[in-house]
Amino acid sequence: MNRSLIIAAAELRLMLRSRLALVGVVTLLLLSAIAAVTSAVQMTEAARARAQAQTETDEQFEAQPDRHPHRMVHYGTYALRPVGPLAAFDPGVDSFTGTVLFLEGHRQNSATFGAARESSDLLRFGQLTPAFVLQTLAPLLLIFLGFATVARERERGSLRALAAHGASAGSIVGGKALALGLVALLALTPALVALGWAALRQPHEAGVALVIALAYAGYLAAWVLGIVALSAIARTSQGALIALIAAWALIVVLVPRAAAGWAGVADPLPSRVDTELAIAADLRRIGDSHNPNDPHFAAFKANLLKQYGVTRTEDLPFNYRGRLAQEGERITSQLFKDYAARADAIRARQSGWLAWAGVLSPALSVRNASMVGAATDLTTHTAFMNAAEAYRFDLVQRLNGLQATAVSGADDNARSKDPLADRRTRISADFWKTMPRFDFAAPSASARMAAMLPSLALLALWIVLALGGLALAARRMGRLGA
Amino acid sequence: MSSVIREIWLLGRNRAALAALVLLAVFAAAGVAIGLANVARDSAMIERMLAGQPAEEQAVASFVKDAGYGAYYGFQPVWDPPSDLAFAALGNRDIAPAILRVRSLSLEAQLYENESANPELSLAGRFDLVFITIYIAPLVLIALLHDLWSGEREAGRLFMLSALPRARRRLWSVRIAVRIADVLAALLIPFAVGAVLAGTALPRALAFGGLITLACLFWSVVILLVARRGASSVVNAATLASIWFALTLVIPAATNLVINAAVPVPDGAALARENREFVHGAWDRPREQTMDAFLALYPQHAVGSALPPTFHYKWYFAFQHLGDVHVARQSQAYRDGIAGRAAYARAAGWVLPPAGIAQAMTALAGTDVTAPLEFQQRIRAYHTRLREYYYDYLFSERPFDVQILADVPRFDPADGSGAGAE
Repeated sequence: MNRSLIIAAAELRLMLRSRLALVGVVTLLLLSAIAAVTSAVQMTEAARARAQAQTETDEQFEAQPDRHPHRMVHYGTYALRPVGPLAAFDPGVDSFTGTVLFLEGHRQNSATFGAARESSDLLRFGQLTPAFVLQTLAPLLLIFLGFATVARERERGSLRALAAHGASAGSIVGGKALALGLVALLALTPALVALGWAALRQPHEAGVALVIALAYAGYLAAWVLGIVALSAIARTSQGALIALIAAWALIVVLVPRAAAGWAGVADPLPSRVDTELAIAADLRRIGDSHNPNDPHFAAFKANLLKQYGVTRTEDLPFNYRGRLAQEGERITSQLFKDYAARADAIRARQSGWLAWAGVLSPALSVRNASMVGAATDLTTHTAFMNAAEAYRFDLVQRLNGLQATAVSGADDNARSKDPLADRRTRISADFWKTMPRFDFAAPSASARMAAMLPSLALLALWIVLALGGLALAARRMGRLGA
Repeated sequence: MSSVIREIWLLGRNRAALAALVLLAVFAAAGVAIGLANVARDSAMIERMLAGQPAEEQAVASFVKDAGYGAYYGFQPVWDPPSDLAFAALGNRDIAPAILRVRSLSLEAQLYENESANPELSLAGRFDLVFITIYIAPLVLIALLHDLWSGEREAGRLFMLSALPRARRRLWSVRIAVRIADVLAALLIPFAVGAVLAGTALPRALAFGGLITLACLFWSVVILLVARRGASSVVNAATLASIWFALTLVIPAATNLVINAAVPVPDGAALARENREFVHGAWDRPREQTMDAFLALYPQHAVGSALPPTFHYKWYFAFQHLGDVHVARQSQAYRDGIAGRAAYARAAGWVLPPAGIAQAMTALAGTDVTAPLEFQQRIRAYHTRLREYYYDYLFSERPFDVQILADVPRFDPADGSGAGAE
């Protein structure tokens, strides 16, 4: 152990003297700091803009004049997806989803207006965020600093000298890994500061922020161990460098894209139009409110009349049109829910394939752990969409309920022919103020931590694999007498 | 000729080089296959939409009693078919919808809908030939060429080889040419197969192949310039990998940050809300105000514009259109913002060749970020035809005939982008 420390110290001194290593470390720290600051500024601005837009849309809704409640069903409202608590560290899919959802009666809309469609094609080259720096760039820096760490000694013949001084192969690779690990820790610092700052301002996020930090530490530790192992196995430093860059390109760049490309093709999603047409066809089968002879709505009416012991809808103690609207909305919303659940399941399966591809690429595992922890993953977006849909249904049914109870059936029936009756169907604007406001809370920190477990397990597997590789390399070095 | 065969034989004996080339060819072929599968999925999606349309129209025709009702329920399909190069450059087709159904209501409330894609798949980036050419091929070229001279020097052969008569022509030029040609073959052969399967027009295929070649030549020049400097193989490899990762990863991402900060895009959510406020506010405004504003745009309909005391679709569709007119400038600014960012990114492409060539590829394939803007303009032009068709019936008060619904103008994706709705 003592020898390892001496070797680590020597290695660090060597790095300090190397201009290339210093430039590399300073560049990464600089990039990391720029990423942390710009990402924090951007996400704070996005959070402010979305919160303000949500307030404005709520106020607009409540400020609507006296109206027929059905007008409010069409007027609708908007749900804005709040920015995740740790989105400044890892914005995840935030740019690739819409952020604004229009909620109205009869229809289920898509989330619109996201950064990806509003940016140039350069966005697809990657976004400079702390997470991107750690996932993509930090391993490359470690490769540049570490590929020669053992191979160099072998090329110079100094490994034999070290062995002659009594350093075991294990203490040599251990010392080298320790030195590179310290560099990795340094590389982590700006991002950890950013994460720590976010946790400080939101204490309930501190636990999950810590787990995210540990995930990145584990990811970089796997790289450190793997780099030293390869450097110990390779015959030349050139060979080590080429092999490590190839491994980096496969793990960080190629596998995530290939897995995503494959998942999209192998398990395709129905298009929005597919769903619209399927729902329209289902509605025609289940109950068509346009058709006066439709069996479902005829039975619905007959049941109501029987229940209240009357023979005409005009004699019901409420406005039949409001109840009819509620029944129609209930049927369509059930279909929206069913079809959304199917599409959600496909998307979850696709993302599941990506998670499994973490067996091939720890970069995918750490990305997934990071996004899940930061509440900027698919699951959180899906939760938002479903919460907004539940809110939409509730709001529309409340408004339909107002049509049933606060609008006279006689006026409602006459309103298209009688302007005065039409006037009377406009109910007080005060009703709009009684509607609940939309509020979405991201999954709780503990739920997110639990969801991170599979990715963390895969990362642990990679650390074990890299450790095994390092042990093997040390054994080989020992056998060959260095 | 014999020197070419010798170099091919030498390369074939280098197991690492051979593996890199074979892997590159496999990845390129996989990229083409995934690209073709994506295009086939897009085409099938469009086919399904068009195949489902008659049943929709039949259902609407069964309950519609007047032209206004028909216009209200008359959704019409619009679509942006994948081009014959989309398989090679998938671009933004995963985040911008290729199909939409629109009706004669305010278009600004319909135009920005998104497809139901999985954002986690988009986040990783596309796996297509652009990706292989811009990201992976340069790394293979670096592996093959970085130690061209330094490798021979380190093996102690450089002096001897250079002393050979006409070494430059017979040895180095041939060696370089063979290695670059192998990389090009690994990319261009899968591309050519894909182009034949996709039925790509020859000039377009040649242009795209030219861009692939250009990317490889750019990197070859960079690599040879570094390799000539006389540093050791390992320094060359480290230098080149740093250049690659600066040009392909760091600077494009940083440029994107700068461009997005420099060119603001107006808030889309505000645009949508403004449109809604105006459209729904019409129910509380005097109807004459709406009709006057509408007739200022459509004076030819003044004759039939008198309203009954109760609801009429003339008025309804008038305020729907005025809602679009009301936000036309905001909508233009929104478009201009995106187009402005794209223009800056293209300009940056001249100093950032990998980003420049990637953008040229997606632009050629019609899958770049401005392609959805052009599609939106085609939708606007079509939407104008669709609603004006219904205006003619609404304002002339001709008796309703169900044939009106069948005779609506249809979208043609081949129509060039005409004047917008404003």
